[in-house]
Amino acid sequence: MASTSDLKKGAVIKHQNDLYVVKGMEFVNPGKGSAFARTKMKSITSGKTVEVTYKSGENIDIVEVSRQKVQYLYKSGAMYSFMNQETYEMFDLSEEDLGDDAKYLKEGIDVDAIIYNGSVVAIELPRKIQYKVIEAPPAVKGDTASGKVMKEVTLENGLKIRAPMFIKENDTLLVNTTNGEYCERVNE
Amino acid sequence: MNHLTHIQTNKELLETRFFILRLVREFFWKENFTEVETPLIVNVPGQEPNIVPMKINIHNEKIVEFSGFLHTSPEYAMKKMLAAGFENIFYLGKCFRDRESFGGSHNPEFTMMEWYRVGKNYVDIMNDAENLFHFIAEKTEGHNGIDKINLAKIKKQWQRKTMKSLWHEFLQINLDDFLTQEKMFELCVGKKYNVSKEESYEELFYRIFLNEIESKLGIDVPLIVHEYPAQMASLAKLLEKDSRYAERFEVYFNGLELANAFSELTDADEQESRLREERNFREKTGKDVYDIDQEFIGALRAGMPESAGIALGIDRMAMLFTGCQEIDNVITLPMSKLF
Repeated sequence: MASTSDLKKGAVIKHQNDLYVVKGMEFVNPGKGSAFARTKMKSITSGKTVEVTYKSGENIDIVEVSRQKVQYLYKSGAMYSFMNQETYEMFDLSEEDLGDDAKYLKEGIDVDAIIYNGSVVAIELPRKIQYKVIEAPPAVKGDTASGKVMKEVTLENGLKIRAPMFIKENDTLLVNTTNGEYCERVNE
Repeated sequence: MNHLTHIQTNKELLETRFFILRLVREFFWKENFTEVETPLIVNVPGQEPNIVPMKINIHNEKIVEFSGFLHTSPEYAMKKMLAAGFENIFYLGKCFRDRESFGGSHNPEFTMMEWYRVGKNYVDIMNDAENLFHFIAEKTEGHNGIDKINLAKIKKQWQRKTMKSLWHEFLQINLDDFLTQEKMFELCVGKKYNVSKEESYEELFYRIFLNEIESKLGIDVPLIVHEYPAQMASLAKLLEKDSRYAERFEVYFNGLELANAFSELTDADEQESRLREERNFREKTGKDVYDIDQEFIGALRAGMPESAGIALGIDRMAMLFTGCQEIDNVITLPMSKLF
């Protein structure tokens, strides 16, 4: 059986007769005494996110899942449409299914779908995604001198992030999808 | 340019952090404390069963090798100072703990504030903690980068509750009935936790506490949780009125633990036997085993005055004042950016 050291984002685990997708985890040492793994996970059946804290080394029931490359097509209403690139089958996921990942999607991007019992239970984004900047307020003289080095820019999919002052419209940026942070400018 | 970008992105948060550091010092100077330094490199690390010290090798000019450790807290050294006659002292600086997350609410190199008062007990330290946060709140109000919602909560009068009352409030359980390993084990089994008989009282306790209580603590106003079961406080004095509990407290805000404090145990024999138990526990669980710091025991034997002290995580304090969810954002260059 797997243990807490096998827990990672995207793993699917069985917990109290329900299946959960691990959204994030962290080791904690309360009061210097013991070691625990605090796991944020989302129920596949109810979509509810819960926090469960396991003792370090505890046995965890990790469920076998498969991954397939899928392409994000478009959003219609509250649903996000994807296409399986092997079978060309299309399927929809709701904003609730996607959670925080939804805001990083841009049309045409490839992501991993996590499949359990024949249905897609979650997606896994690439760790970094490139976006074109569609709106960036121009730097004002004196900004840098007054210590202002970051500004808010809007990316092609509507996502707003903080980026350095020198970023302009039409620049291409790499953004970290785990925390929404600017990584670097990658203009071709 | 990752380093530059990290610092640029978080410049405002870092400025706030450094302002808070300055205010922490101002507060303790105002209270007539002395800022002290302790060695970061020690020959004997702390004995806490689940903290892993970072091992280092040092060589003298003849290239003779010595094994040492980066300190996991300044506690032993500061208590030696108390035994030598120092009174109200604080340490504000780095501590190191191996095998911790790179990011989230941990960084293996982190900043700790530890302070001790001689002739006082843990209630005085509770007052210090609350007054310190109130002082910082007052001085940072209206500053850029300060989280208004958190600030409003910090400024209120803090709540104080005993651990026993929390178990009653959230679980309708009388903790008095679950103060032995056997009883706590039964309780965990009844609650369907996947536990083993080998687990210590503290591990069993935290199974329930972390899953069913902690995240609900300190939501509207910071909460001081005090009076811990005696098994969970190896460096603390027991309560006079009820020796099943110890004079220990922790501060919780938004479900996050911020500080851990005790009325300090000053009895050398008792301290030595508790450290020996922890050492045995390390041995039993297959961890590296370290010598007991006999210099520390010797200092207690020579006479450590009645005192109380606390360790407060400064990075987490900065997170709280800035409303930041990620510790990396309040650290100049966190581990995740270095490696």
